[in-house]
Amino acid sequence: MPKRAIRLCYRKIIDTSSQKTWDKYVFESTYAEFLLQVQFYNQEKKYNSFAEVLLNIPAAEKLHFLVSAAVTGYLQQLGSRIPDITDNLGKHFLNFKNYRFEIINSHIKNKASHQVAINFISEPLIWHDTIGSYLLVSDAGSEKKEDGVITNLVQLQPFLSICSLKEETT
Amino acid sequence: MEHSRKNFLKNFLIGATSVPLILEACKKDTVTETTTTTTTTGTTTTTGSCTVTPTETGGPFPTITPSSLVRSDIRLDRTGVAFTINITIKNKNNGCAALSGALIDIWHCDKDGYYSEYGGTSMQTVDYTAVHFLRGRQTTDANGLVTFTSIFPGWYQSRATHIHIHIYNSAGTSLLISQISFPEGSTSAVALVNASTANGYTKGMTGYTYNASDDVFKDDTTGAQTGTVTGSVSAGYALAITLYVAA
Repeated sequence: MPKRAIRLCYRKIIDTSSQKTWDKYVFESTYAEFLLQVQFYNQEKKYNSFAEVLLNIPAAEKLHFLVSAAVTGYLQQLGSRIPDITDNLGKHFLNFKNYRFEIINSHIKNKASHQVAINFISEPLIWHDTIGSYLLVSDAGSEKKEDGVITNLVQLQPFLSICSLKEETT
Repeated sequence: MEHSRKNFLKNFLIGATSVPLILEACKKDTVTETTTTTTTTGTTTTTGSCTVTPTETGGPFPTITPSSLVRSDIRLDRTGVAFTINITIKNKNNGCAALSGALIDIWHCDKDGYYSEYGGTSMQTVDYTAVHFLRGRQTTDANGLVTFTSIFPGWYQSRATHIHIHIYNSAGTSLLISQISFPEGSTSAVALVNASTANGYTKGMTGYTYNASDDVFKDDTTGAQTGTVTGSVSAGYALAITLYVAA
């Protein structure tokens, strides 16, 4: 049976309804950064929404990257752990080194429409089995011990997806 | 066709029913319930699921953190000839007095002509230290001065060597978006640095676009956008320029 190495992706949406402290800080910081940076692409002040800017100034696509500078300090605070997603024991267990930040919506005059997403991409996991709606996984880097390998059960849920798959014949 | 339409409707229903529940789930650390009712060809199936509440020791505790652009040393992982950038901002609306408290964003390319950015579908690594290289933000002091530590920029096709600058007032409102050009000539820093293969500059000046042919700088006949550059390849260079804004 082929050994399947996967990466899980968690798309964390942050908007005005976000309640956690970390999420609120990210919301505030990314909106402030957006207001600064969008002015470069909106020099004639013709547009108000991110969608309008993007539609008319294709180079504004770079705003995803530029505004992400406001997030990096907060990502560091997570200590490499993907937030929110827990295993079936209620513990956070997914590690990440890669992410992609995106601005979903924003508006120069309406903070309430600011909505961003951080796509967390997990480090490689070995997908051993599927039990109901749960995936049985282990760290791809973890050593196999005599009594087996340490595993986690994680439930398939909205905004969590398998975003890469590598099959190796063993 | 009929089949794909059904699938579309099915997907639509799943989307429509789950989204409000997801939003609810994001609000607090409680059990997340997702119930989806799907009707396909006369049969109705209901699947219910819930995930466990996070049950862990508290922390890490978030703290408010400034943008990673706020830094004076913008080199990060980039190498090249040492370069200090001194920019003074003066206010045309206040008798050309120094403007303090202004936010200054600068960015420029590395020795090979590349900017930090991502395109298409690429992702960033959490090697935060290198992601936004050669981009920085500082606030002007009482003398209207900001200083950045960087590496001497290289060049790329159809552009003269330049530094981008965006000046905002203390409230973050854009005052000026401009670019700084460099002096030219056989003994100029631009010529000497780009010939410095020992420091990793490989392009020389073949194919270089000089200021007079540069689309951005060719109308700057008085050199108002050109910085004063002093130093040497071995000791590094320093650029100084004063820019005037209406604040």
